[in-house]
Amino acid sequence: MKVLIVNNMAPFVWGGAEELAVHLQKNVIEAGHEAEILRIPFQWEPASRIPSQMLMVRAFELWNVDHVIALKFPAYLIRHPKKTLWLLHQYRQAYDLFDVGQTNLPPGAAGEELRTVIRNADNESFAESRKIFTNSEVTRQRLQRYNGFDAEVLLPPINDTELFGGGSVGDYIFAGGRINDMKRQYLLLDALAQAPRNVKLLIAGPPDSPADGERLRAAVERLGLSDRVRLDLRFLPRATYAEYLNGAAAVAYLPFDEDSLGYVTMEAALAGKALITTSDSGGILGLVKHDETGWVAEPTAAALAPVLADACGNAQRAAARGAAARSLWLSLDINWPHTVEKLLR
Amino acid sequence: MKIALVSSFVPFLYGGARNIVEWLQTMLEKEGHQVERIYLPEIDAPDLLFEQMIAFRWIDLSAADRVICFRPQAHLIRHPHKILWFIHHLRVFYDLWDSPYRGCEDDLRHRGLRDALHQADTAALKEARHVFTNSQVVSDRLKHFNGIDSEVLYPPVFDADRFHTRGMSDEIVYVCRLEHHKRQHLLVEAMAHTTTPVRLRLCGSSSGTTYPDTLREQIVRLGLQERVLMENRWITEEEKVDYLADCLAAAYLPLDEDSYGYPSVEASHARKALLTTTDSGGVLELVRDGDNGFVAEPTPQALAQAMDKLYLDRGRTAAMGERALARLDELNISWSHVLKRLLA
Repeated sequence: MKVLIVNNMAPFVWGGAEELAVHLQKNVIEAGHEAEILRIPFQWEPASRIPSQMLMVRAFELWNVDHVIALKFPAYLIRHPKKTLWLLHQYRQAYDLFDVGQTNLPPGAAGEELRTVIRNADNESFAESRKIFTNSEVTRQRLQRYNGFDAEVLLPPINDTELFGGGSVGDYIFAGGRINDMKRQYLLLDALAQAPRNVKLLIAGPPDSPADGERLRAAVERLGLSDRVRLDLRFLPRATYAEYLNGAAAVAYLPFDEDSLGYVTMEAALAGKALITTSDSGGILGLVKHDETGWVAEPTAAALAPVLADACGNAQRAAARGAAARSLWLSLDINWPHTVEKLLR
Repeated sequence: MKIALVSSFVPFLYGGARNIVEWLQTMLEKEGHQVERIYLPEIDAPDLLFEQMIAFRWIDLSAADRVICFRPQAHLIRHPHKILWFIHHLRVFYDLWDSPYRGCEDDLRHRGLRDALHQADTAALKEARHVFTNSQVVSDRLKHFNGIDSEVLYPPVFDADRFHTRGMSDEIVYVCRLEHHKRQHLLVEAMAHTTTPVRLRLCGSSSGTTYPDTLREQIVRLGLQERVLMENRWITEEEKVDYLADCLAAAYLPLDEDSYGYPSVEASHARKALLTTTDSGGVLELVRDGDNGFVAEPTPQALAQAMDKLYLDRGRTAAMGERALARLDELNISWSHVLKRLLA
């Protein structure tokens, strides 16, 4: 079967959705099909040009394609008789972000009109799709609430499972992933300052902006933590990232209200690492169960400090929670062969 | 520099139109440029043409410092710094209108569509900072139909250094898809008329099974099994390099093709004499009769004569092979020239 994966492209920007499309392509091919990615340029600024870009997607003619898997707005507007959606997100600025005032749509009638145009086009596309999957429970609920369409949650699998074989329980807590205010690595530094001196921390990943990296460096300096913290602030080779993760005592990931289980926590669970998160981290709580697979703390330094101490203070307990995290992850049965099979059904 | 390369494509079909884009991408990235490659679907049905053309008008590539457009209708894209490397028109609405390829009625409605297409194309071509083409044939067509001046920028092949010569067997090779308009059958027919022990090797895959079957039958019917070898598959790049290194000469004789064709350029890098025909179109921009190969009449007899000459006068054949390499320089067929012109 010839499977075309249809995704957006913000020219010269590469991110998680692009990675996901590439891995989907690779795994569709491994399942014995042909697969190609169509990347459609999309710029959401200025908002007045969104409708013409929607029409653009709608105007394309596909030929020599048996099955389409579309991922994002407006790529999923593309016409094809056999179209499955794996919805990563809608145009949130016309939906939930609009409701909380975080939108680039103009105020008043013009904005309302754009919103209606987007909603109508979305509904038409959803109705003509064979099946809709979403990448998270939050996305599924949003679709149900705003558009009234049912979907099935299909969590994105880990891309390179072979890297996360685990390892012995080390003497540091690992915090991986992108560095920014929403991911709150600074909170770990504040907690560390209140934790016993045997607790060590390794923060590694690409800062979203130079300021994000600078903020962490300044905090380490200010709190006098340089002998207990290692910062490796860059886009890491996957092997380096995996090495850091596999050798940790526990893995901490504290984003604010994330939609998904989070790649960092998924990969840590697969590697059999105890997990640390906060009570307001959203989808992450799907994997982190307090006292079972790790620790869930209030999002304050005072609440996190004893958790860090606990995680670094008893290797046997950390190993047991890590094993439980691994069992929980494996019980979810999230892998590429199943995912591809569902998307092509 | 941020450079967007834009072309149209048919999903799951691979070939020359993608090579030119992807090879250029590699070369630009080597030079340190940020490159984004954009393939958009396009089919040529008259009734669907204009809505798809509007789609191309709506694409926003303002994030790029310049865009380079290839296969139609990518040239319709709007950008303040638009460069075209124009490789062909939608030919059924241009030079192939009065041909069996047209595929639609020659009536008032379709003539109207055709004329509107010409106008839209001309307007979009005029927006470009510079128009390059891949052959003189295409440049002539742009002048004739759209009144547009352009510069020929011959597409080089990828990693040309791997091609070399290491001898001269009795074999003429034709590395090319097995398709009727590439006319492998004409060469097989010619083999029956040769008087020397010259041999022929055909290698390439085919879009169907009919033509390869016909060729196979033809080889048997003419009793040429000992002297004609056919490999109906996509040979590896290593095999191609080896075949070209060892062969006597290389053939490329499509029917009236626009461009000179990668097979003839690859053979030239391997310092081999070329064999083509007087009706092969763009190939004649590269091959000059008696200089870097032979240009024969498209008949079995004339081709047989040329093949025998290649076999008998090896000194001359080798000299023509040397000229084939020199000819690439004369035509400026190199990536350094391409990059210099596209980034000027």
